[in-house]
Amino acid sequence: MAVILECNSLGFRYGKTQILQDISFDVEPGLFYAILGKNGSGKTTLLHCLNGILKPGVGCVEIGGRNIAALSRKEIARHISLVPQEHMDVFPFKVLDVVVMGRAPFLGMTATPKEEDYRLAMDALEMLGCEKLANCNFNRISGGERQITLLATALVQTSKIMLLDEPTNHLDFNNQYRLLSQIKGLCRTRKTSVIATMHDPNMAMLFADRVIMVKNGRIVAKGNARETMTTTNIDTLYGIKTVEIGNRDNKHFFLPESAFADPDIDGGA
Amino acid sequence: MIPIPNHRSKTTRRLVVFLSVVLVVLFLLSLMVGRFEINLSDIGAMISAFFSGSVVAEDLVSKQLVFWWIRLPRCIMAVLVGMGLSVSGAVYQALFRNPLVSPDILGVAAGCTFGAALGLVLPGYNFSLVHILSFGFGLAAVAMAVGIARLISVKPMIVLVLAGMVVMSFFNALLMVLKYFSDPFDELPSIVFWIMGSLTRVTWNDLMVIAPVTGAGLACFMLLRFRLNILSLGDIQSKSLGMNPAVFRSVFIVASSFIVAMTVATCGQICWIGLIIPHMARTLVGPEHERMLPVTALLGAIFLLGADGAARSVSSAEIPVGIITALTGAPIFGYLLYKNRGSGWL
Repeated sequence: MAVILECNSLGFRYGKTQILQDISFDVEPGLFYAILGKNGSGKTTLLHCLNGILKPGVGCVEIGGRNIAALSRKEIARHISLVPQEHMDVFPFKVLDVVVMGRAPFLGMTATPKEEDYRLAMDALEMLGCEKLANCNFNRISGGERQITLLATALVQTSKIMLLDEPTNHLDFNNQYRLLSQIKGLCRTRKTSVIATMHDPNMAMLFADRVIMVKNGRIVAKGNARETMTTTNIDTLYGIKTVEIGNRDNKHFFLPESAFADPDIDGGA
Repeated sequence: MIPIPNHRSKTTRRLVVFLSVVLVVLFLLSLMVGRFEINLSDIGAMISAFFSGSVVAEDLVSKQLVFWWIRLPRCIMAVLVGMGLSVSGAVYQALFRNPLVSPDILGVAAGCTFGAALGLVLPGYNFSLVHILSFGFGLAAVAMAVGIARLISVKPMIVLVLAGMVVMSFFNALLMVLKYFSDPFDELPSIVFWIMGSLTRVTWNDLMVIAPVTGAGLACFMLLRFRLNILSLGDIQSKSLGMNPAVFRSVFIVASSFIVAMTVATCGQICWIGLIIPHMARTLVGPEHERMLPVTALLGAIFLLGADGAARSVSSAEIPVGIITALTGAPIFGYLLYKNRGSGWL
C-alpha cells in the first residue's frame, strides 16, 4: 500500500537531553496510528517533529516523498493538521471563528476569511454533528465540545494527515468513545491518516489499526494493533505487570495486575 | 444547507459608520473649543481664504494663527495618537495572549521617558535633542527586552514580558537617578510635566514624522488582522496552521514600538488608552480582530480627541491630557471588567 508519511531514523534532543532516537515508521492512508508510552517518553515531541513544529536533529520526515524540512510551513500545514489538547483560549472567540482558522494555510497573508471559508467551517461542524455550537463562545462550552471544535478546525485545514495530541484527555467516559469513533470514521470515509498519542492501551486496542510503542525516546514495538498489543509488550512499555482481562471480537484488554491486589491501605479492616 | 449563523459583520459595519460620523463631528467640535473661541463660520472663512489665497478679515487673523498652527495639528495628532496607541494595545494583547498587556509592556515608554529626561537635564537645552533621545532610548529599551528574551529563548512570550519588566524597572531606576540629581527648581518640574502626557507641544513638523509612521503601522496591522486571531492561539497552533509566529511577532513588535516611541517622544505618557480601548471594542463587536481592530482605532481616536478637548476647556489653565485619560480610563476599565464578567475572557 502507498505510504503517505515516512519517518526516517528520527532523532531529537533538547540541549543535552536526548528525547527521541532512531524513530522510523511509515504511515498509510486511511489508518489510525496510536503512539503509546509513559508520561515523558517523548510522544508529544514526536508528534511535533512530524509536522515540523520542532526540527529533528537527525533523520527526516517525508510526506509524499518530499522532506518536510524543504517545505514551507504553509505547505506542510496543507497536508498535516494538528489537534492540540483541549484548552481554553485567551479571547472568547465564537466556535465558528475558531473553526474557520483552519483555513489559514489556504488564505493569502493579508486575507480575511470569506463567505466560502465560513461555509467550509460550517460543513466541518455539521459533519461532526455539532453545527449548533457554531455561535457559542468557545470558552463557555464543555471540554468535550471544545475538543470537537478543535477537531473541526483540523478537519477544515486538511484531512490528509491528522495528528492528535492525547485527544481524549479531560473527556468523560462517553465523550472519549464518541470522539474516537468520529475520528475513526474520518479514517474510513475520508482516507485520513490519523496519528494520535494515547494514554489508555485499551482505547488504542479499540480504535487503532497500528500501534507505535515509545519508551525513553525509542520504539520498543510497532505494528498491527492486535498483534503488537500483548502483555509482554505492554509490560515492557510501562514497566509494570499487566494481565489480559477479556477478549471480544479478537480484541483483548488489559489492566495492571496491581489493580487486583488487595489494597492494604485501610489495614485490611 | 445549514445557514451560516450571523457573525455580526453587518452590526460591525453599522458601528464603524456610526463611529466615523461621531469622529468627524467631534473633530470639528474640538477645533472650536479652547481658550480661543473659533466658531464654524470662522473655520469656513479661514478655509475658503486658504484655498482662494485671499487675506482674511482683520478680526480673524489671530484666530487664524491659532487655528492653523495650534489647533488643527493638535486635533490631527490626537486622532493619530489615539488610533496608534489603542491599536498597538490590541495587537500586543493578542500577541502576548494576555488581555492585561498595554503597548509599553516591553519598556518602550520607560525608555522614552528616560531619554526625554536626559535631554531635559543635559546642558544646552534643545527641544529636538529631547525628541531624538527619547525616541532612541525607547527603541533601545525594546531592543534590550527582545535581546534578553532571545538569550533565554525558552517560553518566548512569557520571557518577553518578564524581560520587558526588567528593562522597564532599569529605565525607571535611571530616571529616578536623573530626577534626584536634577535641579529641583527648574529641571525637575520640566521632567515631571514632560512625563504627564500632553498634546500642547504638537507642531506640523511632529506630524510630518508621526503621520507616515503611524499610518504605515496601522495599515500593516489592518492587513494582517486575521493572522492576529491565529497568533492569539499560541505558538504551537499557529505553527501547525502554517504560520511562522516568530516572524509575525517581530513585525508587530517593531511596528508598534515605532508608533509608541514616536508618540511618547512627542506627547509624553498618555496612559490607559492602549489598555482599555481594545477591551471596549471587544465588548462591542467580539474578540475577532477582523472586526475589532477598525472599531478599536475609531474608539481610540474618539476617546483621545474627547479627552484632549476636555483638557483644553475644563479649566482656564490647561490640564495634561494624560491625567484626564487616567482619571476616566480607570473607572471605565472597572466597568468593563464588571460588564464582561460572564463572557469567559477572564
